[in-house]
Amino acid sequence: MQRQSEARLGPLLLLLLLPLAWGKGPSPPRAAEELQVSNRLAGQAARVALHYLNYRLGSPSALRALGQVRKATLKTIPGIGHKYYLQFTTEDYKSSLNVGTCLATVFYLKRKPRPAVNINCTYTKDQKQIREDDYSFYKKMRQQTKPIIGNDIPDSYGNIEPALEPAWALAVAGSSYLMWEKSTENLGYFMAQVKNVKQWITKDDSIDFDYSVVLHEIPTQEMISCHLRVIWTPGHPLKVKYFCLSENQWSESEEGSGTESGSTNGIFNEKEAHF
Amino acid sequence: VFKMPPSPSVHPAQLKMKGLFVFAVLLAAAFSRETFVGNQVLRIFVADEASVEKVKELEELPELQLDFWRGPGGQDVPIDVQVPFASLQAVKIFLESNCIRYSILIDDLQSLVDEEQTQMIRQHFMPRSVETFNYASYHTLDEIYDFMDLLVAANPNLVSKIQIGNSYEGRPIYVLKFSTGGTKRPAIWLDTGIHSREWITQASGVWFAKKIVDSYGKDPSLTSILDNLDIFLEIVTNPDGFAFTHTTNRMWRKTKSVNAGSACIGVDPNRNWDAGFGGDGASSNPCSETYHGPYANSEREVKAIVDFVKSHGNIKAFISIHSYTQLLLYPYGYTSTRAADYQELDNIAKAAVAALSSLYGTQYRYGSIITTIYQANGGTIDWTYNQGIKYSFTFELRDTGRYGFLLPANQIIPTAKETWLALMTIMEYTRDHPY
Repeated sequence: MQRQSEARLGPLLLLLLLPLAWGKGPSPPRAAEELQVSNRLAGQAARVALHYLNYRLGSPSALRALGQVRKATLKTIPGIGHKYYLQFTTEDYKSSLNVGTCLATVFYLKRKPRPAVNINCTYTKDQKQIREDDYSFYKKMRQQTKPIIGNDIPDSYGNIEPALEPAWALAVAGSSYLMWEKSTENLGYFMAQVKNVKQWITKDDSIDFDYSVVLHEIPTQEMISCHLRVIWTPGHPLKVKYFCLSENQWSESEEGSGTESGSTNGIFNEKEAHF
Repeated sequence: VFKMPPSPSVHPAQLKMKGLFVFAVLLAAAFSRETFVGNQVLRIFVADEASVEKVKELEELPELQLDFWRGPGGQDVPIDVQVPFASLQAVKIFLESNCIRYSILIDDLQSLVDEEQTQMIRQHFMPRSVETFNYASYHTLDEIYDFMDLLVAANPNLVSKIQIGNSYEGRPIYVLKFSTGGTKRPAIWLDTGIHSREWITQASGVWFAKKIVDSYGKDPSLTSILDNLDIFLEIVTNPDGFAFTHTTNRMWRKTKSVNAGSACIGVDPNRNWDAGFGGDGASSNPCSETYHGPYANSEREVKAIVDFVKSHGNIKAFISIHSYTQLLLYPYGYTSTRAADYQELDNIAKAAVAALSSLYGTQYRYGSIITTIYQANGGTIDWTYNQGIKYSFTFELRDTGRYGFLLPANQIIPTAKETWLALMTIMEYTRDHPY
């Protein structure tokens, strides 16, 4: 009797011990692997998702920055690419206050030039306030008879003139398009400085800015100079054209929803984050 | 008997110019002035040639003692003139009667002069000291070098300044030594500013220096650290690059050495160390921001530290400070092989980050260089670790990308304060775990 139960226990014990054996040596190839939240590629992918979000929202008052990565999984699709599944918190770009959590997928495809992003976020910031802030900036710019101009925003000491702050925020939104396009699994970007801003006074409803921006590229540490033209009407998709000094031609944002490269399936306007 | 000026109720148009100026002359004679009290500077707006001509007439009257700061030019060009108190009323009535618009640019010149005097005295004659130094602003190389001398002068029994070498462009490279005695005690090394554009680091280094002297004899933990170990602090590790960020290019990272056969200047001092030198985590292109240089320790700024560390022989902790992205890192950067002391370093980093976060809630990530930031070959702390300096760490200070290198000055002190808590954690651990 004893021996029989032992014999049955044997295979069971083996099954229980298998994961331990795997833990010790190199793990077998898996389709999906969980990443540490401090993993640099996870953080990089989260930032790409936010570049995409900031561009698509096209709102200088609703810009978000990365808070912390809460969960990250990497799925390798052989011959196609790497897909990251991410959960992360976000902060308001200006105030650094927590403004909600996002779930995103970032798909780096071997064949396509830019990462495909899907992102859903909760939002704890007052939407009405955002629209008002956007409109107040928009109105002020529409009322300019002399075009807004500025240099070095922020300056060497980190100062941003309050009057130029919304134009700087619009540059962040416009640069987000360009940073999304340029990002790869290994190359990431930050907008380091607006070297120059010049407003074009238009006869139509939009406000129109010309920017020279400097991007900080990781891990190369290079400072990339780009020329950016941003045309904006609140509530409409941002129109961005850019030209970086390392490239030979202007690149332009597409009109319309651009669903082939990603989507934002709506922003949930919840008062509290229920994650 | 003076002829009193007509009261304002009299229509100015009725006045003749000559009469006015006679009066003005008399007034000027009566009140000889030595100061600028009551003098004003007027800005005169001339809309047509006729007005320009009228103002030029004023120029022809030396008795008014007018001092043109910006003389009459074409129409539409404002004219700025200093008018002595005595001539003021006459000049104003003249302008008004000729329908020439003006405004008062400076309504009391003397008070402006007094203000300027006070400021100059404050700058040149006020005793400069480490107490009046502004820790909440960014400083030039000269200002930081001055600060070091002031600190040593104010604390001669605790602080000394050592020159460990010269930069490529010939600038002295200084290290502050904090010591309470002994001979080649075990030591802790801190450096800031190896990448010149990372201004928050040099600024924090200045604050750390002051913090050490303020804490000795007051904070029991720091006191016991200094009673047992020495602290070396190199505030401007890349002085050539730092000077260049002030004069020419705020975003300069590397040294300023000339590269043979290339128009591009500079070597990345954090790829120039002899640890995995020349591998993939650095560039062989002199124009690149991560150019490793022609050979390990080619850079004088790096060689100076290498020589110092080797000749000292008793450094137990080595902390190199960078910005930005809020990270605390330990070796390795050049290989994914885990450091032998990986677990211990990870535990220290975890505790240090928790201490940092306790002050303002600032979040840091931590881990080995290669897993947390990117592969980097020829990095500082990989070399120091391989030399046997077990507690080798690199910080990346604030922020996470909003301002990046251009961190506002109002974040200097908060950043330095929170970072200090992490540094204390590492230093206490080093004190308590001699090896």
